[in-house]
Amino acid sequence: MQQVYRLIFKDPRFHDLQRRRGRLSWTLAGIVIANDTWYVLATAFYPEAAFARFWGLPVSEGAAITWGIAIGLAQTVLFILLVLYYIYRANGEFETLKEVVVADALRAVGTQP
Amino acid sequence: MTPVRRLRLPPLVGGLLTLCAGVAHADIGTAIHNMFSLPADMSHLKPTAVVMFSIFVLISLLITWWAAQRTKSTADFFTAGGNIGGFQNGLAITGDWCSSAALMGIAALLYSYGFDGLIYSVVPFGAWPLMMFLLAERLRNLGKYTVADIVSLRFARVPIRTLIASASLAFVVGYLIVQMVGAGTLISNLFGLNYEMAQVIIGGLIVVYVAFGGMIATTYVQIVKAVLLLSGATFIVVAVLLRFGFSLDGLYQAAVENHPTEEAIMQPGGLLPDPVNAISCGLMLLLGGAAMPHVLMRFFTVPNAKEARLSVAWAASLIGYFYLLTFVIGYGAIAFVMKNPEFLDAKTGLIRGGANMAAIHLASAMGGDLLLGFISAVAFATIVAVVAGLTIAGASAISHDLYANIFRHGKATDAEVMRMSRIAALSLGVLGMVLGIAFKDQNIAYLIVLPFTISSTVFFPVLFLSMYWRRLTTTGVVAGGWLGMASGVLMLVLGPTIWKDILGHAEPLFPYKYPALFSIAISVGTMFIVSLLDKSDRAKQEIAAFEDQYVRSQTGLGAEGAVQH
Repeated sequence: MQQVYRLIFKDPRFHDLQRRRGRLSWTLAGIVIANDTWYVLATAFYPEAAFARFWGLPVSEGAAITWGIAIGLAQTVLFILLVLYYIYRANGEFETLKEVVVADALRAVGTQP
Repeated sequence: MTPVRRLRLPPLVGGLLTLCAGVAHADIGTAIHNMFSLPADMSHLKPTAVVMFSIFVLISLLITWWAAQRTKSTADFFTAGGNIGGFQNGLAITGDWCSSAALMGIAALLYSYGFDGLIYSVVPFGAWPLMMFLLAERLRNLGKYTVADIVSLRFARVPIRTLIASASLAFVVGYLIVQMVGAGTLISNLFGLNYEMAQVIIGGLIVVYVAFGGMIATTYVQIVKAVLLLSGATFIVVAVLLRFGFSLDGLYQAAVENHPTEEAIMQPGGLLPDPVNAISCGLMLLLGGAAMPHVLMRFFTVPNAKEARLSVAWAASLIGYFYLLTFVIGYGAIAFVMKNPEFLDAKTGLIRGGANMAAIHLASAMGGDLLLGFISAVAFATIVAVVAGLTIAGASAISHDLYANIFRHGKATDAEVMRMSRIAALSLGVLGMVLGIAFKDQNIAYLIVLPFTISSTVFFPVLFLSMYWRRLTTTGVVAGGWLGMASGVLMLVLGPTIWKDILGHAEPLFPYKYPALFSIAISVGTMFIVSLLDKSDRAKQEIAAFEDQYVRSQTGLGAEGAVQH
């Protein structure tokens, strides 16, 4: 098995896959962390901080829903969409690419994939 | 300068614990007497609730009987043979994540505090995308039965397993007490059963599920419960929105009119304390939520990384959907329960049974006795299933990590490990009952901070660094893990909740309610420094092994597969 691991590690396509998948993962994770941080801080610093002041304002004239509530709902929906987008990429193109790399390495050491 | 805000309510993940105020001692004699006596006032027994819960128990026991036939090896016992599909596992994860606190606790916080309760819906949900992007597939590719398996691939077996298994047990027992005490109080409110009887029923059920049916039974019981919980919550939400012609704003208008503080319930109001506590609490919920051992264990029940990702996608969608429903349930309770004399205590004018009953009263207001019975049964099923999930996580730490790998040096036979697992499940069930009775009527809200502090301080950093940082060594993990855990527990004990409120000292020795920010810094900092200073041969081997582990984590090559029968 170690031989196969070494072969895969030398394969430039493997590192290309890692770079692309890693970039996607970390971009999406960054969005999530930033959103959650903002949400916690805005709630903690309301109404003093400028970035939180509009949270208590209604989204439109006469509405009961405030921006804070709307953002909370939107953020939850956004997180679901991010997860679905990630799995679309990861179980699609990345998975296919990974299978090719693994199959080639297994063939090179004489095992049938 | 921002004024420091004071905390008005212990922000609970397990919100239902606000029910248990005051301190009382459980006298063993009374406890045993109560256990076998019927409630004095039988009119409290709610027939619809009892019938529906009995149906759930019957179905879950049939599942256990069916699962017991299929539980032949340790792989079956701990991971259902790795044969669970992505969608089913997604449902089971949803079940593990959504304890009764998710339904009743969040509704209670929204009912009492309006907007700020949403923090407990919106922020912890971030753990799911994070788990998906950074952890899920690597965990599946590296793990076998427990969290400790992942880490001991590259590091020394005995010290690492001792650390992770101890942390897992501390996590499980802390979480177990919270669930058991919450359950007892809930059940005496809902069914009119007495508290001790409730402990015995729950303890007995989970021992049967886990000891005989293992992970297969636990998974399917969890699936049944998740379906019940999601459909029950959906039912309430549809019934509420129907009254307003499906206008969310209409509901919020009604809630604002009904609440004494009016518009304030739609605005942040300082439930979160000062910024340090806020950040610490946020970190604890986010990182701790992403590394709970009973949830992570579920990644090993699917055959490969592709299915693991699929199960997280399902879990994240269903949990996100559930959190969206809480936006309606909490404000619905304000609109329909707050001024309805049927649900208020005639003397005090406060909600009957405490704020945690808000969701239950709302069900009654929307659908009468039938929906009330259904939601009560769902709440009970929810607790039973979560406790079963915790028990199997604890049993695997005892039998697989401590017994098989440390005590028997990996030489125990399959049958011996299975026997030890069953003994462990039985012991944890009994321990849960005993602690549940011992902590009766105690304010145990602080206990939920313990498991979350442990998972965010020990599990998350250890897992994350072992997968992402080449230079990490055994000495680093062991030093950082133990120091982080010890400091976290110490800061909790010396903090405002225990030192001041419970032990009655004038001033806390540690100023913050949530030690996570500091304990994580200690554990991660120690892991970094000690690992970098470690120049031993052992460390060199571990660093060299990173490459193989990395390829395996990314490709799943050499990972544990499904068991074929």
